Amino acid sequence: MAELVTLTIDGQEVAVPRGTTILEAAKQIGKQVPHYCYHPGMSSPAMCRLCLVEVEGAPNSMPSCVTAVMEDQVVHTESKQALENRRGVLEFYLVNHPLDCPICDMSGECDLQDYVHAEGRDRGRSDEPKRVFGRDDFGGDVLFYGDRCVMCTRCVRFMNEVEQDQRLTVVERGNRSVIDTFFEEGLEGTHWHGNIVDICPVGALVSKEFLHKARAWDLERTSSICPSCSQGCNIELHTRDNLIQRIKPRENLEVNGWWMCDFGRHNHEWVNRGGQLEDPLVRGPDGVIGAAGWRDALGDLLQHVRGVGGARVKAVATPFASNENLGTLAELVDALGGGDMVYRSVRAEDEIVLKGFPTLARRKDLAPNTSGAELIGFTRVGDDQAAGGLENIATYDGIIIIMGDELSDQEANFGKEAALFVYMGDQQSPAAENAHFVLPVSTFAEEEGSFTNVAGRVQCFSPALKASGMARPAWMILGALAAELNKGDAPRSAADAFSSLASRVEAFAGITYGDLGTRGVVVNETYVLSEN
Amino acid sequence: MAISVKVMNRPDPEHTSYLRAALSGMALTFRHLVNPTKVTQQYPEELTNLSPRWRGTHRMEVHADGRPKCVACGLCPTVCPANCIRLVGGEDDQGNRYPIVYEIDEFRCIFCGMCQEVCPVEAIHVGQHFENAEYTRGRFVYDLDRLMEQDHPTTLLWDPSDPSSE
Repeated sequence: MAELVTLTIDGQEVAVPRGTTILEAAKQIGKQVPHYCYHPGMSSPAMCRLCLVEVEGAPNSMPSCVTAVMEDQVVHTESKQALENRRGVLEFYLVNHPLDCPICDMSGECDLQDYVHAEGRDRGRSDEPKRVFGRDDFGGDVLFYGDRCVMCTRCVRFMNEVEQDQRLTVVERGNRSVIDTFFEEGLEGTHWHGNIVDICPVGALVSKEFLHKARAWDLERTSSICPSCSQGCNIELHTRDNLIQRIKPRENLEVNGWWMCDFGRHNHEWVNRGGQLEDPLVRGPDGVIGAAGWRDALGDLLQHVRGVGGARVKAVATPFASNENLGTLAELVDALGGGDMVYRSVRAEDEIVLKGFPTLARRKDLAPNTSGAELIGFTRVGDDQAAGGLENIATYDGIIIIMGDELSDQEANFGKEAALFVYMGDQQSPAAENAHFVLPVSTFAEEEGSFTNVAGRVQCFSPALKASGMARPAWMILGALAAELNKGDAPRSAADAFSSLASRVEAFAGITYGDLGTRGVVVNETYVLSEN
Repeated sequence: MAISVKVMNRPDPEHTSYLRAALSGMALTFRHLVNPTKVTQQYPEELTNLSPRWRGTHRMEVHADGRPKCVACGLCPTVCPANCIRLVGGEDDQGNRYPIVYEIDEFRCIFCGMCQEVCPVEAIHVGQHFENAEYTRGRFVYDLDRLMEQDHPTTLLWDPSDPSSE
């Protein structure tokens, strides 16, 4: 621990390590000094001049984002001098700003809007015509509205320092200066450029995918974990009308910093695709499959299971399922007398590392919970396209349980011989034609649960959407069955399912669902998988 | 207790006759018959004068080239207390933000006029209009084309000579 320096900010004493900036020290006591160019993940050029604060004894106001704290310093962030300064700076920002908030996608979450409302002048005094740049396509997913830009250069610094692929620069000088790309291709081909839309404090950089789609104040924001690779980036799902509208990264310095990759950011159409299974389907004695309620479906299933008796289980799970779902499936397989548990997952050819934050990468593993599946005892089969590997299951004559795997590469006669074939998924699969039971389960966006990422960090996610029809989390269905077979209690929440997992699987021992919090917990070190 | 009967005397004819009331009523009628001031309104040949602040069904203003003035900012559905406006924004060929879907459920509307007040581009207005009869309920959900076709005068929400109420 570095040596502590004590200073006074707005009459409140605060002790911070030497070298901390005034802006960060003020954050410690809950004071947000307005700023544009400063971002904790990048260098500070101190060029927006908005974070100037009054420091007693200093001849001028000091930029708080680059001024290190000093012993016994007295800082005022809301004195007359500081407020006058911000009012003046904000007036300059509005000289050329088009004030097109009604058609700007940033409206409602814009720092310029917020600061001017809070501290700016109510009317501008500039009589000059505003300079007009218009709109520019930066390639990739990014549109640039030059007139709205406040020249904080966060985007330029992100590309130079964090992605380390120099694609943007400031051209011209003075009030003609504008952000531009070097070549025709712009940001095309870069893998992290979605982040410059997030860090843009105004609406100068907007996402083409999200353009005019929803207003910021209409969106529900739910903490979640990115399901697109095994990195486990912390994200927020922004939803409206029971659809995911966009995905934004959530800060977690242990995993993804402030960033996320474009692949994960735009990979949400599969949740929104619709056509989900809504009712449990049960095959009657006449061989016709029809909808049933949960009570009947589970009752029938139990009867069926007891009738089959003694056959070993072959279970195929998806690594998109949470620890709770996989753990409860393993528990059920045990209760049925054991069997083989496998999973299939897509693997990319290489990792895409974010150079300025090297612990973050789009991993090879394109599923969020392969680590969890391995720890719980599932083994990987099939190739890198998540195809094949199920040959001996397709013709198996015992109990087959499919959870989440859509069997898209399998023939229609899959499981024809099976004594009991249970298919659980959110979508109907053509290969599940022979299933005796088709049970609708919710997706990660519709349920509570946790994923174990590539580094063995267990992180939980919250439900953002309403599951369709009678779909239920898989742990609820499997847990009820396992409880009947074991004469135990069925889990009533994801936390219950997790604690029963923790009591059965040593890697999770000692962790409770409450421990996970917003930052996650790493499983026992000896279980961390070396391979990504 | 013995039941006693109270005998009420019948009122004299001077107080019970309806003749007096009928005559005074007829007198009023005849007075109006010869009175030159007409009070009956000849609707629909003659239309009533609505107050300039009368708030009736909506109307969308259009540009000279026929495009709606609306920029799909989303403020009217946000401010609407009755939640009667449905809006889906999009981008047209010229890169302008415009409403792909703009519907107002006039049955649900409470005619508060806040949509007109909040509109940053003076596109949506409530109007001085009250003849809204339709044959089906569905016709009371006005879509964008219907709103643009309306040609009744728009409502004044404030005195134009003193717009900021100073």
